[in-house]
Amino acid sequence: MLEKMAEEELPNGFVQNTIAEPNPPVAKKKRSLPGTPDPEAEVIALSPKTLMATNRFLCEICGKGFQRDQNLQLHRRGHNLPWKLKQRSVKEPRKRVYVCPETTCVHHHPSRALGDLTGIKKHFCRKHGEKKWKCEKCSKRYAVQSDWKAHAKTCGTREYKCDCGTIFSRRDSFITHRAFCDALAEETARMNAVSNMNNAVAGNINHQFMGIPLGPNMTQHLPSIFKPNVGSDDIINPTTRGLSLWMGQGSQGHEVMSTSNLQGIHQLGPCSGAMFADPFVSCSNPPPSEYHLNLVFGTKLSSSSTEELSSTTSLPLSDVKETGTQLLSVPSLYSTQHQSHQTPSTNMSATALLQKAAQIGATSTEPSFLGNFRLKFNADSQVQDGNKLCGLYGSNTLVTNLGNNAEKSGGDLSQIHPAKRRRTHNEDGAGGQTRDFLGVGVQPICHPSSINGWISS
Amino acid sequence: MDTVLFTPKEAPLFNSNQQRNVKEAMEMQSINQPQNSHTSTSISSDSIELPSASGKWAPRLLMECARAISENDSGKIHLLLWRLNELASPYGDCDQKLASYFLQALFCKATDSGQRCYETLTAVAEKRHSFDSARKLILKFQEVSPWMTFGHVASNGAILEALEGETKLHIIDISNTLCTQWPILLEALATRNDETPHLKLTVVDTASTVRSVVMNEVGQRMQKFARLMGVPFEFNVISGLNHLGELTKEGLGVQEDEAIAVNFIGALRKVEVEERGVVIRMFQSLRPRVVTVVEEEADFSSSRDDFVKCFEECLKFYTLYFQMLEESFYPTSNDRLTLERECSRNIVRVLACDDGNGTEGDSERRERGTQWSERLKEAFSPVGFSDDVMDDVKSLLKRYRAGWGLLLPQGDHESGIHLTWKEEPLVWASAWKP
Repeated sequence: MLEKMAEEELPNGFVQNTIAEPNPPVAKKKRSLPGTPDPEAEVIALSPKTLMATNRFLCEICGKGFQRDQNLQLHRRGHNLPWKLKQRSVKEPRKRVYVCPETTCVHHHPSRALGDLTGIKKHFCRKHGEKKWKCEKCSKRYAVQSDWKAHAKTCGTREYKCDCGTIFSRRDSFITHRAFCDALAEETARMNAVSNMNNAVAGNINHQFMGIPLGPNMTQHLPSIFKPNVGSDDIINPTTRGLSLWMGQGSQGHEVMSTSNLQGIHQLGPCSGAMFADPFVSCSNPPPSEYHLNLVFGTKLSSSSTEELSSTTSLPLSDVKETGTQLLSVPSLYSTQHQSHQTPSTNMSATALLQKAAQIGATSTEPSFLGNFRLKFNADSQVQDGNKLCGLYGSNTLVTNLGNNAEKSGGDLSQIHPAKRRRTHNEDGAGGQTRDFLGVGVQPICHPSSINGWISS
Repeated sequence: MDTVLFTPKEAPLFNSNQQRNVKEAMEMQSINQPQNSHTSTSISSDSIELPSASGKWAPRLLMECARAISENDSGKIHLLLWRLNELASPYGDCDQKLASYFLQALFCKATDSGQRCYETLTAVAEKRHSFDSARKLILKFQEVSPWMTFGHVASNGAILEALEGETKLHIIDISNTLCTQWPILLEALATRNDETPHLKLTVVDTASTVRSVVMNEVGQRMQKFARLMGVPFEFNVISGLNHLGELTKEGLGVQEDEAIAVNFIGALRKVEVEERGVVIRMFQSLRPRVVTVVEEEADFSSSRDDFVKCFEECLKFYTLYFQMLEESFYPTSNDRLTLERECSRNIVRVLACDDGNGTEGDSERRERGTQWSERLKEAFSPVGFSDDVMDDVKSLLKRYRAGWGLLLPQGDHESGIHLTWKEEPLVWASAWKP
């Protein structure tokens, strides 16, 4: 598979680089997870004041502050003062790690100390400090100046691309669009886009599939992620139907995180736990696993006793196969959960979720975007012409009706509006059928009979 | 009853022929003076101008007609209505559009048919509604104009700050915004804290058309999105209400351990004027942490007994609104047309329907921020928007076309901020606490 990828033309250069080196040369030191210090290290606890202090080293002559002693010494040379630069000591200095002074912080405990002084300073500012720096364009706030600067470079230049293909330059309109986009309604395939999975999922699926511990912890979180499309009473799309099977099997007997409408789950309740276990056992390699999944659904469907499941028996296996890739995405989410040591992706930063779904790129996509835009307008204006005629009568139909009624009332005012009356006259000949007057079809805003009225005039 | 005063012309009412026809009509007018029992209409030939000659014929004619109606001068009414009808078009420029929609209201007022007209317009609108069309329209409007998003950003900011640190949030959203306000808030809740609170959202849809199908779909999308964000979420829609006064604590599902925020977007104006105090007090009894009120800045309420004055206010407001729409959307936009049509219903409702008549809960009698403040001060005290929220609003406005501005409260007695367009305040946003 990797070879295949190398042969394809890839737009991003970086992917090709990773393929080129199956055996990386002796690596630079891998970055360990933050907060997992070397047990032999010396633990240093600095006070908040010390951490926040930017320029601790002061020149005695002019009072100028410096972040490092070395810098101060070099400055002292300018005052013709004796200066001494400390050499890096020959013996291996004992490694130092730092703890966060904030008692409620996870990094307060020495076992979770951070190894870098600058790192602990930034951490303290970011998490426990006041956010003094603000972006002008989007008013996002930062506690650390370097964070703010880094953001300012990319703010406004980033584009957000929704799964439906629309591109946004503004984050807020992207978020709002995303919430209502039909792409979101396609359910959980999205979750993969935001997880850490790479594209070579198929090979991994069955492996992780089998490795998942189906303890109560796991299944408890399923409902919050895989809630089936319970709002609609009628047919759910095949993907979610498949998912609701998983749902029901997983969640029965467990507390559901959120209390919203979960009729689907309850209906699926009485599935036996054994059904859940079986699929895992039966999968061994990717192609068969897909097949097995279908088989599982097929057999389980037919053996089910609940109404909900039997209603999905009508789900043809071919449907499941088609949505096979999406169904396969289901276990890959499980695998993500399996890998992460903490509670699953609900704790992943929502910004990260959106960012993964977003596309970070230059604003060079404009031409195509505008191209689509223009097309849209042409379509609109065409529709507009058709609508003009319809709409005129659409909005004035009521006037003609009123004209009729006004006539009958017999007051002085009822005689006014020959113009209105004219339409009344036309109205009389109206039939009930809509006619395709302009050949563009009658738009829903038109009142059908009034078009006939116009035509007959 | 069938006396025809003029020979009906078969000419179409479209722009290409309009000018010529109007000229002919004017000439006919001068020849055939209407015969009626009143003294001959005293409209001199000076006022018979070609529409192209004077820029602002529409407000002038419309005001004249409104005056004529209030004076019950039927000859003049007849003439002016006729003249407006010749010039008006929902597809023309701003003047023509305003003439068209206000003409409809004037006609209804003159013929006392406002209620029926309103019901017909509502029925037509209801037929057109679908989730897709509503969503498309509202998102497009928010994209081209800060009219709605201004209120959303200010309210979200106030709500987030007031509910900071709470774990069980209950937001009662009384609006017709189809929950477009909430994705941003959900994202903020998810990214802001380490501990994401539980959010319950209860929506009272104030649209005057029945659209439970649409709200169902909206609810589903919101739930999915909340899941994507990782925010524990519960969603309820209150439907079947006639008016806000029917709401109760139990009906809203308010529980003791929840931190409540009530969000009124263009909602208080839907309450009949006399009921507004009662409704506000009802919400006070829910003991919310924060109440956000966003309304359009216009006064159709204090002048409701004076037709001409009310008409003038209405005309002024909608002139600005239509101009704003024209400059925000592309010229051939269908979305703009739909928004304008929605106005026509509101205009008829305000000008040609009696208050408290027929369907309630659709009053549309707007009040200015100062007037709302007086009402709200009886139950709540104002909260200023924090600097952070103000910065958010300012950067929001920067993302739109030029012309939009922010007006801060002027004196101590004023509260809330205004969205201005071409220096005119149009939307008012405020926050209140118990």
